[in-house]
Amino acid sequence: MKHKMTWVFLLIMAAAIILPLLSATPVMADKLSDAIAAAPQGTGKGQIDPAAAKGFLGIPGGPSPGLVICFLWAVWVGWIFSTVGAFGGIMAGVGHITIYGLGAYAKTFKETSPGLNKMMTDSIRVSNQWLVGLSALVTSINYGRQKRLVTSLGFFLGIGALLATLMVVYGTAGKVSFSQYQGYFGLCVFLIAMFMIYEMSSKGQAKKKAAKAAAKAFEDTVKSKGDIAEQGVKTLKWSFIKTEISFFGQKFSFSPMWALAGGFFISALASFIGVGGGFLYVPFLTSVAGLPMFVVAGTSALAVLIGMIFSIFNFMVIKGVLIYWPMIGIELVGIFVGSMIGPRTGKYIPEKALKWIFLVLAFYIGLRYTMRGFFGIAML
Amino acid sequence: MVDALNHFYFLIDGILIVFYRVTGITIVDYMIGTFCLSMIAVVLGEFTVSIALKFNKKYIGQLSERMNRKESMAIAAYEKGDMDGYKALNKQASDAWGKKFFTMMGHSAAILWPIPFALGWMQTRFQGVDFEISFPFSLVMDSVGYTFSFFPIYILGRIVFAHMRPWLPYFSSVHKSLMEAAADSK
Repeated sequence: MKHKMTWVFLLIMAAAIILPLLSATPVMADKLSDAIAAAPQGTGKGQIDPAAAKGFLGIPGGPSPGLVICFLWAVWVGWIFSTVGAFGGIMAGVGHITIYGLGAYAKTFKETSPGLNKMMTDSIRVSNQWLVGLSALVTSINYGRQKRLVTSLGFFLGIGALLATLMVVYGTAGKVSFSQYQGYFGLCVFLIAMFMIYEMSSKGQAKKKAAKAAAKAFEDTVKSKGDIAEQGVKTLKWSFIKTEISFFGQKFSFSPMWALAGGFFISALASFIGVGGGFLYVPFLTSVAGLPMFVVAGTSALAVLIGMIFSIFNFMVIKGVLIYWPMIGIELVGIFVGSMIGPRTGKYIPEKALKWIFLVLAFYIGLRYTMRGFFGIAML
Repeated sequence: MVDALNHFYFLIDGILIVFYRVTGITIVDYMIGTFCLSMIAVVLGEFTVSIALKFNKKYIGQLSERMNRKESMAIAAYEKGDMDGYKALNKQASDAWGKKFFTMMGHSAAILWPIPFALGWMQTRFQGVDFEISFPFSLVMDSVGYTFSFFPIYILGRIVFAHMRPWLPYFSSVHKSLMEAAADSK
C-alpha cells in the first residue's frame, strides 16, 4: 500500500513537471523593467541613474545591503526564534524594512515613480513570507510523519486561506504604498505589544497562575497517558455543520464554518502583512475551537504552509512580484546560526527579563512604524 | 552584498551551466540541469542539518519531552472530564509547542538555505523565460517562470535522495542515527 502511494505520488510529480513545461517562450519585458524605464532618470532622490551599479532586484543604483549586516541581523532573528519564538518573524520584517535600507529607498519613489515604490513594497512583503513558508514546509512534513495532521480541519482552514489570499493579492498587489504597508505592519506589532502588556499585568499573571495551579493539581493526581502519538488522529464524521475527530479513544468536534472563517481572517492578515500567522492560529484553535494541542500543533503549521503557498504563488506568478533570492539565502544561513547559538545563550537570561526586553521592543517598533507610516512623523 | 554575490554567481556559472548542455534538446536539458542543481541543494542542506541535529540533539529532546508530557496529560484530563485541568494543560502544551516550533524553524533553515542561492543563480540565467502550461493546468494560468518549475524538480530530488541515503558515504551513518532516534521515540 505504501509503495503504491509512493508510485502514485511520483506519477503526479512527473505529470506536474512534464505537462507544464511543454514549450519555453521568451518574454520581452517584465514589470520591473517597465517600472525602471518609467522612472525619471538622474542622480537625485527618486530618480534612476542607468549608469549606476545594479543593486537590489537589479535596479541601477538600488540599495546593496552589506553582506555582514544582512547575516548578523539574520543571526539575531534566529536567536529570537529559538529563545522567544514568534517575535523573530517581526524582526525579520524589521530587517527588510529598516536595517537593509529597502524601505527608505522605496520611499524615495513615492512621488516620482509610485509603481516602483509599490513594487518594492510587494517584494518586501513576499520576502517575509518566503522565510516563514519554507520553515512551515519542513515542520508540516515532520508532523505529517507523526500522524498529527487533521485533514478535515486543514481542508476548511485551507479553503478560508485560499479565498483570503486571492482577495489580498487582487485587492492589494501593486496598490499598497510603502508608507501604508509600514503603518499597518506597525499597527500589527503595536497590538502584539498591547497583548504582551496584558500578559505581564497583575490580571494576566493571576490568570496564568490559576491555570498553572489547575494543571499542577491534575498532574499530581493522574499519571500521563504514555505515548499518545502512536494512535494518530482519525476523522470520524465530515459535515459542514459539525466535524468529529478522535484520537486515543476521545472524541473532539469543531465547526467547519468557524475553521473556514478563522482561516480566512488569519490568512488575510498574514498575507497582507507578510507573516505566517501561526501565532494567531494556535490560540484560535485551542481557545476558540477548543481542540487539543496534539491536533493543533501540526494542523496550524499546515495552515500556515497552505496560506503561504497560495499567497506566494498568487503574488509571484499571478502578479509577477520579484524577490532578491540571495538575500533570502543569506538570511536562512544567519537564522540557522542564530538558532544554534540561542539554546546555549538564552538560558543565561531570565525568562521574565526576555519578555520585558521584547515588550519594550514591540512597543517601540509598533509606535515608530505606525507614526511614520500613517502620519509621516519620524521618531528616534 | 550585490557585487559580492554577482561575483560568486559568475564563478559557479561555468560549472552549473554544464548540466544544462547535456543533450542539446532545450527542454530536456533544462530538466536535467535543474535536477542536478536540485540535488546539489538537497545534499548541501542535508549535510548542514545533520550537523545541526548532532549539535542540538539534547535541547530538542528536552523540548519534545516537555511538549509530549503536557499533551498526554491534557488528554488524560479531558478523559476524566476535568475541563479546567484540560484547558490549563492544553495551554501549557501550546507554550511548549511554540518553543519547539520556532527552534525547528531554525533547523528548517539548515535544510533549505541552498534553495534561494540556487534560485538566485537561475534568476541570472532564466529571468524572463516563461513556461507555457498545458491543459488542464492552463485553466488556472497560462505560464509559470523558473521559480515554479524548480520546486517540483527539487521535491523529486528529495525523494531520490531519501532512497539513496542509506548507501551514501557519511549520510548512511546519519540515516542510521535517524532510524535509531525514531525507534527510541516509540
